[in-house]
Amino acid sequence: MPGIDECLLEAMRLPGARGAALVDWTSGLALGAVGEAPGGDHETSAAEAAELARLAAEHGTFATVRAGLPPVEDLIVSNGDSYHLLRFVDTSFDSSVFLHLWLGREEGNLALARIRLGEMAARLVLG
Amino acid sequence: MVRIPPPALPVRDRRAARALSPMLTRLAEERATGVLVREHGVLYLAEGRVVHAESPLAPDLGVLLTAHGTLAAAAWQRAAARAPDPARAAEALLRSGVLPTGALELCHLDALYDAGYFALAPSGTPGRFRYGAGPRLGPLPSVPVVALERETLRRRLLLHRLWPDPAADSAPLIRADPAPAPAPALPVTPRQRAVLDRVDGVRTAADLARDLGRQAFHTLVDVRRLTAAGRIAPVPADPGPPPAPPPLPVTTDPDIALLKRLRDALEAL
Repeated sequence: MPGIDECLLEAMRLPGARGAALVDWTSGLALGAVGEAPGGDHETSAAEAAELARLAAEHGTFATVRAGLPPVEDLIVSNGDSYHLLRFVDTSFDSSVFLHLWLGREEGNLALARIRLGEMAARLVLG
Repeated sequence: MVRIPPPALPVRDRRAARALSPMLTRLAEERATGVLVREHGVLYLAEGRVVHAESPLAPDLGVLLTAHGTLAAAAWQRAAARAPDPARAAEALLRSGVLPTGALELCHLDALYDAGYFALAPSGTPGRFRYGAGPRLGPLPSVPVVALERETLRRRLLLHRLWPDPAADSAPLIRADPAPAPAPALPVTPRQRAVLDRVDGVRTAADLARDLGRQAFHTLVDVRRLTAAGRIAPVPADPGPPPAPPPLPVTTDPDIALLKRLRDALEAL
């Protein structure tokens, strides 16, 4: 069963992966990080990505209210150079974490990464 | 409609990273192993790294794992009873394979940073360190002292930006009617609603966190946001028994003129 580091290293094997982190969106803490950070610093990236994740998770426009489902599944931000994929991790205990994967736009495959990251998020906490 | 956006999560300022406890800094430098007991919590150090933290103000790993049925209470009690110290109970769980590794690592780190925040809170008494071979670097992740200190400072700053008065962190909380504001009140999020529904004039933020099986710091974030929105307030500290009322003045000279004016006014209605 993979731990946090194994999960992040697995994410880094996706084509075009530049960096990956597990982040708590309430505090902005990176609980684990590998590879490059978008701004050169994983702590800053974690705090900024957490702010985006929190806005999506806490606002009715984006969050589902169906019982038993996490409020948001994932967030995608694209720019001219790269993709950011934020996958919320649905834990059976109370937590507020997401996986943040940073992909180069040229080599990255967003659709594949989205499917794989969802599987990794599930395996991380479900085994 | 003018809305003040919530403040951004603070970013750690490396230049401002200062030691919260000079004793802890020294212990990290000498790669000490043992248990640091401070006023609001305990840090377990192995070779200068934090392997476990406890605080009466933060729910422990057992509470976090059992509150929502991730782990049966009996399974946690068994692991805790067999382990020589609480830090090893989590390792026993890991070995037994009852929980996925990632889930346990995540919950362990959540609990460590949560209790560590309170253990490093300013205290009025000096900390005591007991050198000993108890704690050790195990299979679960450990955290460098400086990382825990920086994160604790960042969390203090985050709470301060949400609402600068720390009174609601430790006092019993009561519900309040938000004062009418020029802008519509920010909606209460589902997580805040769960906190708000349990505010009863008796329970503190730490009690609410335990009730909800939630990290205490996460609960403080919601408590400070709800306080800032005027929806809850700390119960003022009990000032003790009220002072005895002053003796009633004895007078034999009531103000006849005032009574007459009052009677005239009533009759004129």
